[in-house]
Amino acid sequence: MKIQAKLGYTAAGLTVLAAVLVPFLLYGLFTKGFAALGLHVDEMYSGGPKVRTIKTAAYSIVIHRPVSPHMLQSEKPFVQLDWKPVSALAGHVSDVVDVDGDGQPDIRVSFDVPKDPKTPLRVNVEALNPHYEAMRNVGKERFSKLIVRVDDAILVRVPLAQR
Amino acid sequence: MATEARILPHREIAARSIGRSVLLTLPIVLWSLLIFSNSFRQSNRSVQMAGIITAVFMIALFFMMMRTWSTYRWRRWFFVALGLLFPVGFIHTVMVMRGSMGIPMEEMIAGRTPFCFMPIPLLILPAALTRTVVFPGSILPGGGMSSSGIAAMVGLWLAITLVVGKGWCSYACFFGGIEEGMASVPKRAKLRKIDPRWRYGPWAVLLAMVLLSLALFEPAYCMWLCPFKAVSEYVAARNTLGMVQNGIFIALFAGLVVVLPLLTKKRTQCAFFCPFGAFQSIFNKTSVFDVKIDRTRCSPCVLCQNACPTMSLTKESIAQGETLMSCMKCGACVDVCPKHAAVWHIKGTEVAVKPERARLMLLYAAWGMAVMFGGTIIAQGLAAILHVFV
Repeated sequence: MKIQAKLGYTAAGLTVLAAVLVPFLLYGLFTKGFAALGLHVDEMYSGGPKVRTIKTAAYSIVIHRPVSPHMLQSEKPFVQLDWKPVSALAGHVSDVVDVDGDGQPDIRVSFDVPKDPKTPLRVNVEALNPHYEAMRNVGKERFSKLIVRVDDAILVRVPLAQR
Repeated sequence: MATEARILPHREIAARSIGRSVLLTLPIVLWSLLIFSNSFRQSNRSVQMAGIITAVFMIALFFMMMRTWSTYRWRRWFFVALGLLFPVGFIHTVMVMRGSMGIPMEEMIAGRTPFCFMPIPLLILPAALTRTVVFPGSILPGGGMSSSGIAAMVGLWLAITLVVGKGWCSYACFFGGIEEGMASVPKRAKLRKIDPRWRYGPWAVLLAMVLLSLALFEPAYCMWLCPFKAVSEYVAARNTLGMVQNGIFIALFAGLVVVLPLLTKKRTQCAFFCPFGAFQSIFNKTSVFDVKIDRTRCSPCVLCQNACPTMSLTKESIAQGETLMSCMKCGACVDVCPKHAAVWHIKGTEVAVKPERARLMLLYAAWGMAVMFGGTIIAQGLAAILHVFV
């Protein structure tokens, strides 16, 4: 038997062995390998990393790092704020938020929190700093301009004005 | 023309003996028992029964492959069952978990969009250039429909691809079975003359989608062109744009997965459109198994060319004794050849020397993956159906 044929059969045998090892070893190995690459989900979906938390008695407001669109992405830059209740949010929430942490108020956000979680949410944002865009009665318009409920938290994405 | 009756082995020799066939099936019996042992232990009767039925089904098909020497027609039973039962299990789970096939924005933001293998080639460039995954899921288990996360799906795809290469499209893909089923319905193809340039379609779609995904930073194929959104889940239509997207999904599904396979008896979506299939073709170069044409035996009658569901054989390639790199190792050409000129082959070995050994080694590896991945999906779909009755 030629050396190429021997190598071929050896490779075929190893392939069968690899098939046996897939559920016990290879699947987990490749999964861990991919996870270890240190990739992250696009911030347009994830909202970007958290940078600051403002705590009140009933809830905390988590402020994320501003997100900018890549290349030809059709979204605007935005900043995400999460209202996370300690137990449950009040029926109406209105807050003046210092988004950039400079000690000056940047936006006033107000929305109703319906008891039925399936009821659509609407948010109003008043811009106190021209860097942020005002929003009136906005639901789920775009990834960069929305209010949504994720589990017990309410997420608001405020578009940033183009400078 | 390749008709249903002709994609059968033209063997002069008798069927393999039952005893020998049972012996050759034994490893798959043990493997199936191992894979479905979890289902057997479940207290839920529908899950338990689905596991038993699927295990018996997969073992029976492998036994028939051994007994009849034929690969294609028995593999097709598995593949069609996979194609039909995947949507059943998936839609059932989606409806139970969120009450709609539409993916709401909040689920995307929460990273709970289930990840299938289709966008894998689209993620490579953005990930390589910016370390970003342009998919609204979670890398690690993210709860909800995201199940075990993107890393797990990529890990599974890598592991199976290492074993079967482009054979993924015949033994693992949970979408291709629908069109393979459709293609098997008519006795004869009504549309026989297909411009061979359509074969470049998947490469064109792949190139366009890879570049668009990089430019738009979104999984462009999933957003705009995936025909299988029609039977899995789709972007919740919030506006006119969403309606257009869903209209495209339905039109592509109807055209490429239902109507054209019925007219051509080909897997038209796989052969002319699927970018993942084109990407997977690259792994035919790394796979040790392939199909060769023994030129000393070939007439050539082009029965194999007509039987190939993805047009992976041409007169030129037959003359060279090769299949094209889009060959997905389904076995249709091998089974249809009256002269046994189309043969399974292990790279490095001589063509047509012990082709059954090559077939057995391929089938143990590929059927092992089919039981582990496809079999589990079949069992889930079956459990959803049995749940109604049990």
